Amino acid sequence: MRWITVLRLRLRSLLRARQVEQELDEELLHHVQRQIEAHLAAGMSPEEARRTALLEFGGIEQHKEECRDARGLVFVDGVRQDFGYALRTLSKSPGFTTVAVLSLGLGIGANTAIFTFVNAALLEPLPYPQAERIVVLQQRAPESGTTTLVHPVSFVEWRERARSFEALAIGQALPVNTDGAEGAEMVSGFWSTAGLFRVFGVDPTLGRAFAEEESRPGAAQVVVVLSDGYWRRRFGADPRVMGRPIRMGGHQATVVGVMPPRFRVGTLDIDVYYPLPLDRSKPEAVGSRSFQCYGRLRPGVGLDAARAEMTLIADQIGQEIQGEKGWRVHVSDLRDALVRDNRRALLLLLGVVAFVLLIACANLAGLLLTRSVGRRNELALRASLGASRFRLVQQLVVESLVLAGMGGALGLFLGATASRGLVFLAKDAVEFGQMADVRLDVSVLAFTVALSVLTAILFGLVPAWQVSVFNLQAVLAERGRGGSDSRGQHRLRAAIMTSEIALAVVLLAGSGLLLRTFANLLQVKLGFEPEQVLTMSLFLTDDAPRRANLVETILERVETLPGVRAVGTIQFLPLSGWTNNGPFHFVGRPKPTDPTRMASDVSTVSRGYFEAMGIELVRGRAFDLRDRMQSPRVAVVNQAFVERYSTHQDPLGQVILGDWANPRPTEIVGIVGDIRHNGMTTEPRPTVFLAQAQVPGYITHVVVRTSSDLQGMAAAVRREIQQVDPGQALTGVQPMRQYVSAALARPRLYATLLGAFAALALVLSAVGLYGLMAYTVSRRTHEIGIRMALGARGADVLRSILAQGARLAVTGVAAGTLCAMALSRLLTALLYGVSPSDPLTYVGATVVLGGVALAAAFVPARRASRVDPILALRYE
Amino acid sequence: MSKPNDLVQGTLDLLILRVLALESMHGWAIAQRIRQMSNEELRVGQGSLYPALHKLEHNGWIDAKWGESENNRRAKYYSLTRAGRKALQAETLQWERLSAAIALVIKPT
Repeated sequence: MRWITVLRLRLRSLLRARQVEQELDEELLHHVQRQIEAHLAAGMSPEEARRTALLEFGGIEQHKEECRDARGLVFVDGVRQDFGYALRTLSKSPGFTTVAVLSLGLGIGANTAIFTFVNAALLEPLPYPQAERIVVLQQRAPESGTTTLVHPVSFVEWRERARSFEALAIGQALPVNTDGAEGAEMVSGFWSTAGLFRVFGVDPTLGRAFAEEESRPGAAQVVVVLSDGYWRRRFGADPRVMGRPIRMGGHQATVVGVMPPRFRVGTLDIDVYYPLPLDRSKPEAVGSRSFQCYGRLRPGVGLDAARAEMTLIADQIGQEIQGEKGWRVHVSDLRDALVRDNRRALLLLLGVVAFVLLIACANLAGLLLTRSVGRRNELALRASLGASRFRLVQQLVVESLVLAGMGGALGLFLGATASRGLVFLAKDAVEFGQMADVRLDVSVLAFTVALSVLTAILFGLVPAWQVSVFNLQAVLAERGRGGSDSRGQHRLRAAIMTSEIALAVVLLAGSGLLLRTFANLLQVKLGFEPEQVLTMSLFLTDDAPRRANLVETILERVETLPGVRAVGTIQFLPLSGWTNNGPFHFVGRPKPTDPTRMASDVSTVSRGYFEAMGIELVRGRAFDLRDRMQSPRVAVVNQAFVERYSTHQDPLGQVILGDWANPRPTEIVGIVGDIRHNGMTTEPRPTVFLAQAQVPGYITHVVVRTSSDLQGMAAAVRREIQQVDPGQALTGVQPMRQYVSAALARPRLYATLLGAFAALALVLSAVGLYGLMAYTVSRRTHEIGIRMALGARGADVLRSILAQGARLAVTGVAAGTLCAMALSRLLTALLYGVSPSDPLTYVGATVVLGGVALAAAFVPARRASRVDPILALRYE
Repeated sequence: MSKPNDLVQGTLDLLILRVLALESMHGWAIAQRIRQMSNEELRVGQGSLYPALHKLEHNGWIDAKWGESENNRRAKYYSLTRAGRKALQAETLQWERLSAAIALVIKPT
């Protein structure tokens, strides 16, 4: 019980300091008054009584101070004093303070910015109830092992057989044409089976989700569920929209529900959800291996159990259904599926900024050390006047805390600004749903505060430790003599400097590798000409002949626009991240025993496409007006196809039959050059191009090569399409250049970030080295003066100081190169066309850092070489 | 006048606790009482009395309350807590042992 009283009193002294002071005054005053009264009673005159009482009492202030001491406020008061003192001393050396706060602020700011992302991507819970039970299912191709989306045929089997899941759903994001506020509008739609909302565990806020029977073909009415955003944007959040028919992709659909705000399907921001009419007896009618599949695990079923079950089921299905042979199922946690390779990249960046912070800390430790050695006299004096060692260390620690606090505040500000910039910089490079939610929250704040305190301890302890071991007598004895440093201090500073240089080398080498990667990517031969090419996306809804006609009409009209050099269409644009793939065989040649051994990417393109995209026609012909719905099927293949499947026979004239939409024997009539369709770093894959006029798809992209301004052209094309069909919406109008630049976004981001961090590291270590050398020179001025008086020339002095700097630089660079070599393996996945141990990069990093280090050492060295011996000998 | 500094370390605490064991009183009265009880031998200066009182309060041995003094002035009254009572016993015992030991040493044989 006593400790409660004690604690209460301490807190009172601390928090209600003014009241406690007042009471103390009153108490002491009371005493004096009683004393006066006593003297009066003893017969003194009032004047005399008062004087005697005050004399007896002595120094009131001193007594009060002693009472305060007794109340145990010494420590708190001391800390308060130290804060004031720290602020005063720091403001007296603005140069040091600026460098210190800036380097800390930059280090902490970089960490805060990156942590904001890590927090949003990896740490914050996904916005679904029991999100850890949500999984993503994908399929793995038999031969290549590439991961693909899910086939509806597989899905209906899984849904019937798998016991691991509470709910299972497939869906596909498809744009829908609908009536907007001004004419036709294209919105993002998600076409899914009824289980979708149960998988994510989210119910509509208004109305209901669609029922199982509504996602079967021939359902009584077409129903849709709207997103909150679309409901507000299009219908002004009017609840009366419920039950009302709206036009959706050529049908009338009834609105039955509205989802809660910010509901997303994984990363997808969807406007309208509508049922996928999946027929159990004919699932392939809705499409092929192009559906996203999500499942919710039953309570108590782990990921491994689900994986084991799905492996078994995949084996069974493979034996029963022809096209499913050899396909595996890949079950992954939703977060893993969303974060994918971002995790690695984010953790890597976090590691990199940790390096930057370490450099900033080392820098600061060096600076503080230098300063504290310079302040030894002051500290020694205080110690000899009775300050305890603890008290001195306390003062130094408070000083570093003040620095860290200022650095942390600056860092928080810089980090918040930078993370907003990063969202912008990374918008093409990183795609995860929570990206929009990247913000400063409690955990980011806690992270920054923890980081500031940690750094204060890290760099503050070094000089504090120095003070705690110094020898009072020795310091006072050398007072005013400017004696040289002890060996230990010298070594400590050299070690700090060396590690700083080593850390900078690591960052420099890493950024060098990524910059070379980026440069290599810029050199990649795309195989097409993205300049002056405009692309836009159409979603066609009618039956096949009408789809073919519509595209043909659009081509005819756009062709005649002034400034158009070529126009064509393709199902999925190069570098857009989409592709189709399927097995095929040559008609007339023995079928491969394993149908999965021969597979090719498939793309549907119109006449004029290769010309519009600038793809080289190697042999034969491209598609033209001869290729119609009724004419014999023709195909164009790429060189990779020829090299892989037709090395012995002329491919032209051969007939292939593929397992793709509406298959018929198709004659190869042309060969085109390879392009980078699946990514800048992915080697071109064998590809078969089919004619849009013969097998028209639903999704198509118009590609226009123009000699005039892209924006004006976009408006002109839009007008033409509106005239052909006013209900046809047009979306994703983008220059082809944009896809190329988006494909480069991630390497560019890495190269930019790491480059910026490496530059930061370089500046920090240059400042650190300069500070250290300048300090050394100033400490050695006396000694240099003696040497010069004894006949040393300026050049000798210059050489000797430079040699000292060079020794540090060489050791640091050597250590850094070794570390960088070891760590660069972590970068392998991000590199292209450059080996992690690329000699050029390491030589470059060494030369740059060596140069910077020598330059930093040169300035003080030159100053030393110009020392006037007379002045130096007088120098204290 | 015996200055408080001349008192053996810790004796002032003992004296205060002893005086407060009788009744609660304010600082000035404590000083007076010690003087009276010691036949004017021990005079406690305020310079050591108040720090000692504050320290004892913070030890939780005595308790402070504001009250009316004999001549209607607001004064801070100190009283012994239970912990203080125990401390008084322990300190008294300690003191007796110490003074007996000192007496043994300095008594002419």
